Amino acid sequence: MDIQVIYNTPYYIPLGIFIATYFYLTGISAGSFVISAVTVLGGKKEYKSIGKIGSILAPVSLLIAPIFLLIDLEQPMRFWHLYIYLQMTSPITYGTFLLSAYPLNGVLYAWALFANKEKTAKILGITGIPLAICTHGYTGFILALGKGRPLWSTALMPTLFIVSAMVSGIALVILIASFNNFFFTKRKDVEKAEQEKKLILNLGKFMGATIVADLFLILNDILVLLTSKTEEYHVAQLLLFGEFKFLFLGIEIFLGSIVPLFVVFFPKTGQTLRGNVFASLLVMIGVFAMRLTVVYAGQSVPLH
Amino acid sequence: MKNNKRYAMLIDLRKCVGCHTCSVACKAENSFPVGVFASWVKIIEKGKFPHVSRSFLPLSCNNCEKPICLTNCPVKATWKREDGIVMIDQHRCIGCKYCIASCPYDARFVNPLKKYVQKCTFCHHRVDVGLVPACVETCIGRARIFGDINDPNSLISQTISTNPVNVIKPEMGTEPRVFYVGLDLDAADPIKVWKVLED
Ligand code: SF4
Ligand code: SF4
Repeated sequence: MDIQVIYNTPYYIPLGIFIATYFYLTGISAGSFVISAVTVLGGKKEYKSIGKIGSILAPVSLLIAPIFLLIDLEQPMRFWHLYIYLQMTSPITYGTFLLSAYPLNGVLYAWALFANKEKTAKILGITGIPLAICTHGYTGFILALGKGRPLWSTALMPTLFIVSAMVSGIALVILIASFNNFFFTKRKDVEKAEQEKKLILNLGKFMGATIVADLFLILNDILVLLTSKTEEYHVAQLLLFGEFKFLFLGIEIFLGSIVPLFVVFFPKTGQTLRGNVFASLLVMIGVFAMRLTVVYAGQSVPLH
Repeated sequence: MKNNKRYAMLIDLRKCVGCHTCSVACKAENSFPVGVFASWVKIIEKGKFPHVSRSFLPLSCNNCEKPICLTNCPVKATWKREDGIVMIDQHRCIGCKYCIASCPYDARFVNPLKKYVQKCTFCHHRVDVGLVPACVETCIGRARIFGDINDPNSLISQTISTNPVNVIKPEMGTEPRVFYVGLDLDAADPIKVWKVLED
């Protein structure tokens, strides 16, 4: 059947790169906080340096993140409306409170760690883990409740976001820890540096495991999209063969997941700091590509 | 229930001639700036000569019974009147655009001059003084009917009861309050139209 469009109104994409960046930063924050809290709760002395790095990264990235939200508002001076006019069915409303409570918890936690208050740090670590997961999980809900958008409105979204958050959080902790190890610890104390290196390598393996989980979720998502309703099918086509194939298949999947996976598990590269740093860098890029793809591809199928 | 009114619109596409008068009247009535649309008419052509047809599809906010935009608006700037019209409080909207992203009908836009979100509100200011929306008033084919679907004697209730009617994307569960008679499947399908433009 021949169909021609004679007239239609233009189609706009309301949410853009600021929102993607915001998702990216909260993800890093949640991931690095969880890693830090887990190492601290695990209680081993030699883990402490990693715990400290995570504890700094978490609040810092989360203090930057809301700036992107704010500049994306059409009326930034009205942001306080979020605190007084509450719509409890909206994920953004509960997100507002998470975004306020979580950095506070994070800052206190970092302070407790650096002041060597073990007990306080542990308690704040325990309260912080669910907060961190919710703070990032809610961003997944924001998308999942966008019911008109086939790529977003899946129950997988919050989990997908949390898992990719872990991936990127660990990657950044590895990067900073390796930097610290190479430039500072190694010069002061060779033995300690060796210990730290072992830890970083273990983290690399753990990152590999989360990448596998992430890939598994993405596979689920794509398979279901391909066999689901028309809109869903077309979004999957966009990702696999259309406009987003480079960003999705090329950067997110190949460079951001498969290559790093190979690097951390291949003995020759996985046992070196350099290999892990390389893998982590790729992962950081890959997760950003994932955020971009989800935000843009989700809105690229027109609704009218 | 204090107010039993449920305002709705019915567009009889058999009478629509695709003249865009409604779009123009909407812009004039509400002073919507250039480039944004609260009401517009999509036009497609189908078939090979001599078996051809043109379909018109006037679109706007459906003032849904279960609006997802209202569920998702974090500051309750989007709210629903007792008569069912979905409103946006221009002093409260923070412009997060979440409602635009979640509306399945692409019915909302940011007013580029005033920097808050707007959409069709069935010309609520006219309805309040007993007039019908501007698009209904100016429709040259008399294709649009506006009224209270809870009143069995209203023209719109009678037309809905005696004609096969349809809404756009009923699967979204938003229960749209803009009904169509003679809706063309191809015109209502955004994907098909988009694919044509892509090729
Ligand atoms: S058509 Fe869209 S903007 Fe209008 S009420 Fe329904 S969901 Fe809200
Ligand atoms: S843009 Fe305005 S109306 Fe839309 S969800 Fe945000 S605050 Fe509510």
